[in-house]
Amino acid sequence: MAQHTQTAGKASLDLDLRSFKPTRGFVTVVVSTLALLLVCVIFAPSAVSAGGLAGSLPFAAIIAIVGLGQMLVVQQGGFDLSLAGGVSLAVVITTHLSGGDDAQLFGAIGLAFVCAVVAGLVNGILVGVLRLNAIVATIGMNALLYGAVFAVSGGVPRITTPLMAEIAGGKIMGIPHSVLFALAIMLIVSFVLKKTVVGRRFEAIGANPAAAHAAGLNVRLYQAMAYVFAQLHYCVAGILISGITREPTAFQGDSLLLPSVAVVVLAGTSLLGGRGFPISTVIAAFFLNQLSQFALAVGVPFSAQTIIQALALVFGIGVYSLRWKQAATKRALKSKTEETDNV
Amino acid sequence: MAKVAVMKLVETEPLHSAPRAAPTVRLSNITKVFSGVVALSDVSVDIHPGEVHAILGENGAGKSTLMNIISGVLQPEIGVIEFNGEVISPMTPERSAALGVSISYQHPAVLDDLSVLENLRVALPDRVFAAGDPAEIARAMLDDVGLHVPLNARADSLTVAQKHLLEIAKALATRPPVLILDEPTAALDQDATEMLFARIRSVVAQGTAVIYITHRLAELRQIAHRVTVLRDGQHAGGALVRDVTDDDLLAMIVGRSLASAFPPKSQEADPEINFTVKGLSGRKFHDVSFAVGRGQIIGIAGVEGNGQSGVMRALAGLEPWKGDVRLKGTSLSPAEVKAKSAYMPSDRHEEGIIADLTVRENATFSALDQFSNLGILSRRKEIGEVRKVFGSLSVKTPGLDAGILSLSGGNQQKVVMSRALMSRPGFILADEPTQGVDVGARFEIYRILREVSQSGTPVIVNSSDAAELEGLCDVVIVMSRGRVAETLRGDDVTEGRIVAAAVKAQSHVTGIGEATKAVKAATSGLRQFIQSDNATVVPLAAVVVLLGLYVFGQNANYLSAFNISNILLLATALGFIALGQTIALLMGGIDLSVGPLAGFLVVVASFFINDGQSPQTIALGFALMFLAALAVGTINGCLIRFANFTPIAATLAMYIGLQGMSFVLRDGPGGYINFAVMDTIGWKLGPLPVAFIVLVIVALLAEYVLRKRRLGWQFRAVGSHEESARRMGIRVTSVIIGGYIAVSLFTALGAVMLMVQIGVGDPAQGVNYTLASITAVVLGGTSLRGGRGTFVGTVMGAVLLTEVLNAVSFLGLSQTYQYVFQGSLILAAALIYSTARRQAGT
Repeated sequence: MAQHTQTAGKASLDLDLRSFKPTRGFVTVVVSTLALLLVCVIFAPSAVSAGGLAGSLPFAAIIAIVGLGQMLVVQQGGFDLSLAGGVSLAVVITTHLSGGDDAQLFGAIGLAFVCAVVAGLVNGILVGVLRLNAIVATIGMNALLYGAVFAVSGGVPRITTPLMAEIAGGKIMGIPHSVLFALAIMLIVSFVLKKTVVGRRFEAIGANPAAAHAAGLNVRLYQAMAYVFAQLHYCVAGILISGITREPTAFQGDSLLLPSVAVVVLAGTSLLGGRGFPISTVIAAFFLNQLSQFALAVGVPFSAQTIIQALALVFGIGVYSLRWKQAATKRALKSKTEETDNV
Repeated sequence: MAKVAVMKLVETEPLHSAPRAAPTVRLSNITKVFSGVVALSDVSVDIHPGEVHAILGENGAGKSTLMNIISGVLQPEIGVIEFNGEVISPMTPERSAALGVSISYQHPAVLDDLSVLENLRVALPDRVFAAGDPAEIARAMLDDVGLHVPLNARADSLTVAQKHLLEIAKALATRPPVLILDEPTAALDQDATEMLFARIRSVVAQGTAVIYITHRLAELRQIAHRVTVLRDGQHAGGALVRDVTDDDLLAMIVGRSLASAFPPKSQEADPEINFTVKGLSGRKFHDVSFAVGRGQIIGIAGVEGNGQSGVMRALAGLEPWKGDVRLKGTSLSPAEVKAKSAYMPSDRHEEGIIADLTVRENATFSALDQFSNLGILSRRKEIGEVRKVFGSLSVKTPGLDAGILSLSGGNQQKVVMSRALMSRPGFILADEPTQGVDVGARFEIYRILREVSQSGTPVIVNSSDAAELEGLCDVVIVMSRGRVAETLRGDDVTEGRIVAAAVKAQSHVTGIGEATKAVKAATSGLRQFIQSDNATVVPLAAVVVLLGLYVFGQNANYLSAFNISNILLLATALGFIALGQTIALLMGGIDLSVGPLAGFLVVVASFFINDGQSPQTIALGFALMFLAALAVGTINGCLIRFANFTPIAATLAMYIGLQGMSFVLRDGPGGYINFAVMDTIGWKLGPLPVAFIVLVIVALLAEYVLRKRRLGWQFRAVGSHEESARRMGIRVTSVIIGGYIAVSLFTALGAVMLMVQIGVGDPAQGVNYTLASITAVVLGGTSLRGGRGTFVGTVMGAVLLTEVLNAVSFLGLSQTYQYVFQGSLILAAALIYSTARRQAGT
């Protein structure tokens, strides 16, 4: 009891530090990142020079944002393959519908958000309510989104408006705007997940839907909403890409799907669902991006970089897989029966 | 040793039905301990041939443990197992099966996705069916137990009772020397029970030793010769059934010492009623009524599985119900019942706690609204409330942010109680509140429940421990077969009365079982086909033909020999890869790495299979393709089975890795493929590519293996229900690793076709085949839940997908339509199939 009082008493002092209590994922990611930076300084200083970072950080920011979106879906035990379509659609809507005209930019951005919400809702209904498999539902949605991409763009890239380039590509005190966007989104996601009623319930449902259901929570609604908020993340990422890249293609999202899953896994979120780690996810995005920069700087051919990423992913999963085992076997046992009474 | 002596004394009396013989199974001084808790202590039992030996006892008395020791699933710490006088050490499931121990489980190991016949054939050794036509032999087995269902009916269309009969038929089929029946009549009606007893008598007459586990005294009298009673893991007595009275048996069952004290009961004779339930009916219970007075605790008793947990879950709003529920005089709607109730689930690990979260988070996740302002949490309020409640419940925790699993079972349960209390419920439902809780914490939990009840919140407790109900409850309703068998009040609430009411209840299931009715008389071939896995082939074929004709109407070139062979050639590459993907999905997994693997294998080929290479080099190229596929499949399978990766994680890492490997080998297109090789593989008979014919033949062969061979049943069994498959003796790990190897080998066949298509080693090719293969498989009608699938449907899906993509260009439509069609197709197919399955299932 004494021990208990002591801990609780301390809690009131360091209120805000508490949510940053290091987890296994956080420690793993931070240590790996620091080690990588150290190696960079010794062997490839150009990868950590101010110029090098300024060039590569925006891409890390994009991976971080889509990673945060994917994380929400993975937290609910899902998997979102429609990320590629979602990002690409936001890109082409911003570049094509604004027609290079700054005045129409915000209308286009608004439309991009509307499309994201619709796509997310359809995903959410298919998976959360109609109980379709997440992979099947999001493969289908991805194709539909690409249909929209071609309807908007005809598959031809177009140069973005100057205003967008300024919003996404500009710098404040040498820090690219896109990085600031990523950090702001990270703070919002962290705050909502850890400090609000819906966020805490969202995590509880992801960690054990059966217990949440038994406690009377609306499991399906939360599962469906994960897809909506994920799409909003993809949309922001797409809009930023349209400003960062001078002439973004219609397939801009394709190359982001795998990194998005990789950073979520590296940050310690279980693919079976549960707690999410927004800060670790963002650091993991930086790590993954920096890994490529390092490889590039020391002369590893571009081609071999994905092998390094794959190894990093295997290592990341390996670190956490022990903890997953129990959850996996338990779920395998009940997965068949849960379906019908999960009203 | 003393207990063995007692048994010997009993045995000296002559038996009425069987000749005196040496015991088939002899268990001597068996002791089994689970992490400090003694499950069986010094138990000795002899099981004789030609006899039904009943094992009697309350839940948790050690009956299942005893059975698992005989079947080799568990190994005893101390004690000797003898079979026909020979000491078996150690006993393993394989050894037990070889000795002829056959088990009918209480929860049938029946695979829903397989047909009745397939269930029998995958679970039984081949020799059982060697004598003649397997269908006739299976028919005879089912007739034996009075199960009249079509052999090709899917097991999920069977009622619970029919599944039990199927389980029993499996157990009897091997004509075992030792037959264990665990509560076989729990779901059976009167006729089926009679029939089962007749069967048991006939196998006993042939010399089988039967171990019959039951709760029902009435059944014991009908069927058993000898009885052993277990209590608290100890041998409480054994006798010949005809020599012992019901009262003697009851005395042996009850009377276990309970080490904890109970708070005093409600003294008020006629308290104000604050919670009533009238005529409550649901899926597994009927017409349940009771009333709770202020300060009273009501208990629900009965042998496990007689509707008690159904009542609890209905009152928690987790199951649909009909009837009238009143709280303090007001009738509640189902939504209000859900909102007002606080449910403490019996399965704490499954439904009570969230293992990944902290103690504090576990305590508050349903009550968070109270600590928040506009949805934003106040940490101070939350911690304050948690500390207050934890204080009054004396929860012992190393800290509020400790992991919930670091607490003892009793403290975990108190955290669950804290959550229930913090949400300020209208009434509390405690389902098995002290299961897995140590003695000290038990008393605390009883005290808390009593305090809650006294404060005016109605408390309903379900427990399979009659002694606990005696100590805790003021009113106890005893349930049997989903109905209230007896309501006990005041001084009548004794362990003896509760157990007597539960085990003496003779009523059999009515209206639930329907075991002996010949179900689904309409067994025409057509209906059977519609319910089969291959049903999708017909609508798919229709769509393929109609679409072809429509496009032909728009553009006559569409059905030209050139275009047809073009479509089929493209479909062949996709088809082979999708056949592989089908295997992964059948096993309940997925393989994301097939696309990059196909691309990688073409790149490998592009170094060997070139113009001007010797035949040996070309052969080496093909060999390397298949060897690389073999390696990739093995790595995937091992990552999944041995390193605990989820299939998505393992094959995703492989996806990225293979893509990198392709680019390492070639940074751009290069290495033209040998023309002669391409010509040979792309050879056509008229408009039909030979390769496509090969694909169809391979698919038909695979389909045959899937339906008719043990290997195919094993794949489906693993995907259908891994645990049941393991209980049936299937080597799950080997099957799954073999499965992923098969996926990669099929992908290698697809890669050969892809090589012919692109004609050059291009590291950027192939990746798209991952999503395309999943699309084709889903279109074909294979379920992503595992266990159900069709190779023929997959080929149709591949053809349809290719046809659609091809049609778009012939119709002069933009690329938009290509994507829209593809997306709509997969979503429509998935929705139609899942709806159809759901309806077939109900």
